[in-house]
Amino acid sequence: MENVARCKEGKSMKIKALVTASAIAAALGAMSPAWAQQTVTWWDFFSGGDGVRMKALIEEFNAEHPDIQIKGTTLEWGVPFYSKVRTSAAVGQGPDVMTYHLSRMPLGLSEGVLSPITEEDLQTAGLNEEDFFATALDAARDSEGQLHAVPFDIHSLVLYYNKSYLEGSRFLDDEGKLTGIESVADFEEAMQLAAENGSETPVTYATGDDGGTYRVFYTLLAQQGGTLISEDGEVLPGDSTDKAVKAVEIMTKWHEEGWQPEQALYEASVALFTSGKSAFQLNGVWEVPTMKDLEEGGKLGFEWGAVEVPKLMDSQTTWADSHAFAIPHQEGTEMPPEKREAVMTVIGWMEKHAIAWAEAGHIPAYKPVAESEEFATMQPNATYATLADRATYDPRSEVAGVASPAYDAAENIISPAIHGYMSPEEAVEQVKSELQSRMN
Amino acid sequence: MAMIRNKARHRLVAVSLILPYVAIFALVFAYPVIEVVRMSFTNAPLIGGGEWIGLGNYIRLFSDKLFYTSVVNNGYFVLLTVIPTTVIALAIALAVNRLSGRMQALVLVMFFTPYVLPVSVVTQIWAWMLDFQFGILQPVIEFFTGKPVPVFKNPNWVMPTVATVTIWWTNGFNVLLFLAGLRNIPTELYEAAALDGATRRQLFWRITWPLLWPVTALVLTLQLILQLKIFDQIYLLSQGGPFNSSYVLLLMVYREAFQLNHGGYAAAISLVLFLLIVVISVLQFQILRIGGKGK
Repeated sequence: MENVARCKEGKSMKIKALVTASAIAAALGAMSPAWAQQTVTWWDFFSGGDGVRMKALIEEFNAEHPDIQIKGTTLEWGVPFYSKVRTSAAVGQGPDVMTYHLSRMPLGLSEGVLSPITEEDLQTAGLNEEDFFATALDAARDSEGQLHAVPFDIHSLVLYYNKSYLEGSRFLDDEGKLTGIESVADFEEAMQLAAENGSETPVTYATGDDGGTYRVFYTLLAQQGGTLISEDGEVLPGDSTDKAVKAVEIMTKWHEEGWQPEQALYEASVALFTSGKSAFQLNGVWEVPTMKDLEEGGKLGFEWGAVEVPKLMDSQTTWADSHAFAIPHQEGTEMPPEKREAVMTVIGWMEKHAIAWAEAGHIPAYKPVAESEEFATMQPNATYATLADRATYDPRSEVAGVASPAYDAAENIISPAIHGYMSPEEAVEQVKSELQSRMN
Repeated sequence: MAMIRNKARHRLVAVSLILPYVAIFALVFAYPVIEVVRMSFTNAPLIGGGEWIGLGNYIRLFSDKLFYTSVVNNGYFVLLTVIPTTVIALAIALAVNRLSGRMQALVLVMFFTPYVLPVSVVTQIWAWMLDFQFGILQPVIEFFTGKPVPVFKNPNWVMPTVATVTIWWTNGFNVLLFLAGLRNIPTELYEAAALDGATRRQLFWRITWPLLWPVTALVLTLQLILQLKIFDQIYLLSQGGPFNSSYVLLLMVYREAFQLNHGGYAAAISLVLFLLIVVISVLQFQILRIGGKGK
């Protein structure tokens, strides 16, 4: 359906162009309002709570802009989305604007599907490079420093906690906020305490899935200063191998102690926390709306909070990624300047209205919103917003990022290893050879 | 004169009847196959041209550890499915053949129903039944092993489980083939043998088995080709894990082509798989034919 609609649109555009080009066009000046309206084809991969908020933003934009109409389509997240972008752009049938994970930029750049975002584009959108968090902006550049996307948010792993298991302990301060976790030992003590207080699985994350396992592993590795893939393409260079082993050992210990769920898939891992069985949850900020909705509906039954993942190892940093806007480079067709202007207007408007997107738990990448008063009072976002400056993005490699071989390796190797099917040393060796062999 | 014209017309009719098929065949089979061969010698992405790199992809393939792992897993899967499914289908067909009328139809429908289901439904049903946390088959597994087993996350269980699901799913069709074969055996043969005092066992090994052999050979060959192309169930149930213990060639093709955009390399793998299937199935069919002649 979508394709058919787009083909028709393309045809009528050509006819319109012919008409305008001819001298008769002058006589038909009355038609110009219809000609001026731009339809922006938009593809994203947001479902669930994210999707609802994005659709609301699109509707609001359309209502405010009679001359620009966004036609949004939501596609399936992950490999299907990126395959479709690549194949459609290759034949000039891609969208005008799309959402893109910054962690997937390296592969996108090698595929040549991302058109550069110029200084002029940013001006059209009313944006400045200085207005974005540097970590996010750097992730949107190619090796020569040229921008290929406009970051929209920063989303990362955070630590959710259930206060009921920690009451009266040293882990809650006077205001009932999580405190006192400065090392793995502290965190394990807190888990032990929660277990004694009746928590079934003191910390929950998707131990049987790729994303959940990868993000915890990567955070533990990054906090030790380890590198998953170096800039010259070496997997776990130098002592990073030992650090990766350490990370897997910690996760294995949590399994052996019965502190984390066994083979939990994503939904199950979230349910363990929302149903009050887990004292902690290591998951992305995108579950904040779930918690808020349950709390407002009176269905939660406990008080909760979310903080930046504490310093468990040597330094405080967390896995993070960004959703960004990108304009596909369409093979064989040049985007008309009026269309590009409309697309940049859309992007600029979205950035300035990112406060609605923050409701979904994300931290806006656009500083004027992230530093606004409205955001400062938004909880728990404001509490963990400190992570934006010291977050660790995925390695810049074609085999890393969302739905990449690195994610596959987490499900294929790390997850079974932490369940005791392989020793941490062997598992890390296998991750190394697996990722190395996928590069060429 | 009339004869000649008739012959020419004859040929024209024949050509016009064959042409649509040949045209479609050329367009959707011959041309893509030629393209795959060409692509496998280039470094092309999924879409668009690439540069000629000669045997580069093949050299890489034959030094890729994952390729050998996948070949071994493909072989293991064939071992787990082809002969078991044939034996089970034959047993069911023999049993169903003894029933008659509506009862036979009903039982046949029951065995055939899974075959009608799409693969995504089949895998969803089994993923639920075998779910580690709440699957209704976990107590059964627990009874035999003493503890629940995450079957798709355990390197030893994953392939046998996927094989079981596959047999459950595709067996109905083989039953149907065997049943048709059984119905083709004239009953007089059984009557005559029974008059000569043949036992049930003798009836099977002396009459049913040899006369059914062409069907058995067909089922074995079809199954071999089908199971070498295993992809859907693996992709939906185990994603090739854990530790690549269920990684198969077509999954490798998919990942290289769609995840990593290596069209040329993926083409090379598919071509090798294609040749493997051709060689193995021709070889198997010849062996079965020789085996059949001895009977």
